[in-house]
Amino acid sequence: MSPEDASRKPLPAPDADTTAFWRGLKDGRLLLQHCGRCGHVQYYQQAMCRACGSEQLEHRPASGRGKVHSFSVVHRAPGPAFKTDVPYAVLLVELAEGPRMISTFAGGDPADVTFDMDVELSFDEVSEEITLPRFRKV
Amino acid sequence: MSETSLRGQVAVIGIGMSAVGKVPGRSPLSLAAEATRNALADAGLDRSEVDGVLSSHAFASPFHRFSVAFSEYAGIRPTFSNTLQVSGATAATMFSIGAAAIHGGLARTVLLVAADSLLTGLTPDLALRSLTESRDQQYEMPFGIPVANTFAMTAHRHMKEFGTTPEQLAEVAVVHRRHASRTPGAQQTSPIAVADVLNSAMVTTPYHKLDCSLISDGGAAFVLTSAEHARALGVEKPVYILGCGECYTHEHIFLMPSLTTTGAVDSARNAYAMAGYGPADMDVAGIYDCFTGTVIMMLEDLGFCKKGEGGPFVADGQMTYGGCIPANTHGGLLSFAHPGMPGSLFHFHEVIAQLRGQCRDRQVADAHLGLVHSLGAGFATNATTILGTREAL
Repeated sequence: MSPEDASRKPLPAPDADTTAFWRGLKDGRLLLQHCGRCGHVQYYQQAMCRACGSEQLEHRPASGRGKVHSFSVVHRAPGPAFKTDVPYAVLLVELAEGPRMISTFAGGDPADVTFDMDVELSFDEVSEEITLPRFRKV
Repeated sequence: MSETSLRGQVAVIGIGMSAVGKVPGRSPLSLAAEATRNALADAGLDRSEVDGVLSSHAFASPFHRFSVAFSEYAGIRPTFSNTLQVSGATAATMFSIGAAAIHGGLARTVLLVAADSLLTGLTPDLALRSLTESRDQQYEMPFGIPVANTFAMTAHRHMKEFGTTPEQLAEVAVVHRRHASRTPGAQQTSPIAVADVLNSAMVTTPYHKLDCSLISDGGAAFVLTSAEHARALGVEKPVYILGCGECYTHEHIFLMPSLTTTGAVDSARNAYAMAGYGPADMDVAGIYDCFTGTVIMMLEDLGFCKKGEGGPFVADGQMTYGGCIPANTHGGLLSFAHPGMPGSLFHFHEVIAQLRGQCRDRQVADAHLGLVHSLGAGFATNATTILGTREAL
């Protein structure tokens, strides 16, 4: 990787599995997949239910509410692209619908983050195509 | 035990290392060749007797088929070879797959070899970057997750659930450094105290710099052959592979079933079952120590103490000489060296040397049974190997 590439933040490149997900975020909705056969709710987007193997999956918007299951405040950035962002809190959020997801705290001082803290979605439009799902304190 | 069990069928008959630590100007292939020369000399074999080669990927090498490139470099023409990739767990899988290949008749004498130059062949920034790059490009990477972060979140949750303290985490680093101070060639040997760990720069909470493993150059190699062939060769101190287990629970950290109980539980259970031994029987252990909290969780999941008690267990001196399970007596990834994929091979090197009684002033008395647990990718990959002397067969 060239130094120029290393200083650019990695952005997702939507594919057949995930185009709907990233379009949803652009429209202000975090889409979860609900299985029409077994009722399993899953994050991330793919072509089959991880619980039962069914392909009958339906996208439904999440409530956007969740709790912090764990977190870690990054002080040493993973490469030049994130150097000016430190310190920032990486969150493992347990969504109200059940699935967990990785995100970051967008609500101010990372020192405010605690275990089991109630959080809600916050949409961060980082490019014309991509809006990242972040979280702030409720 | 089934008739096809690997238990005791294959022996380690040679071990070797390259120069380790900061070794500038040497390619992973060159380091691998040095480790191989030493392992073959230790086994008393010529390279022409090697018909199988297993390796892992090297970040600082352009060769994706490292085992193939290495065989060419070393003048070996294997009829069984592969380059394995299950992150940090690869080391233990090299032993199980090598043993299975021998037991299944695919090869008679298998060389296991891995080397990398993460410290001088890659800059530290690019080394970390290359590890970070291996996370999901859509659901993880955009959020700026350092390699330490996934492990940090598991340790953090462990602290929340069981009251594990930063001081207990730090104690893991202190013990490793003390062990490394007796190991020739270890990268970090100056003594540290708990306060030094807590006062070192924060990397990603709860991990300070000294809670994190090193970045190093170096490699290791091993020679495996059938127990029968080892006997025919008159190997003086064969070390047998008695049990192997693996478990893969997830890829994404957000799909890890529990942040505090890992696939090591099943991996170890399978290895113990094959070996016919349990954790209380182990005399010495090598436990993947990429971070301090990792060791605490693994001491629990491998059965050396109860869930949640890993912190007090370490603080009480139970993972060192005189305790329940002397572990990482060479200093581990935290203080001996961590060149990436080969890192866990040093745990094997140490445990095998302990079982052969070759560890001089760091020797664990009467060591006949040892366990090595390798893991990687935020506990996504787990592999356990149980090794023993002739007396343990």
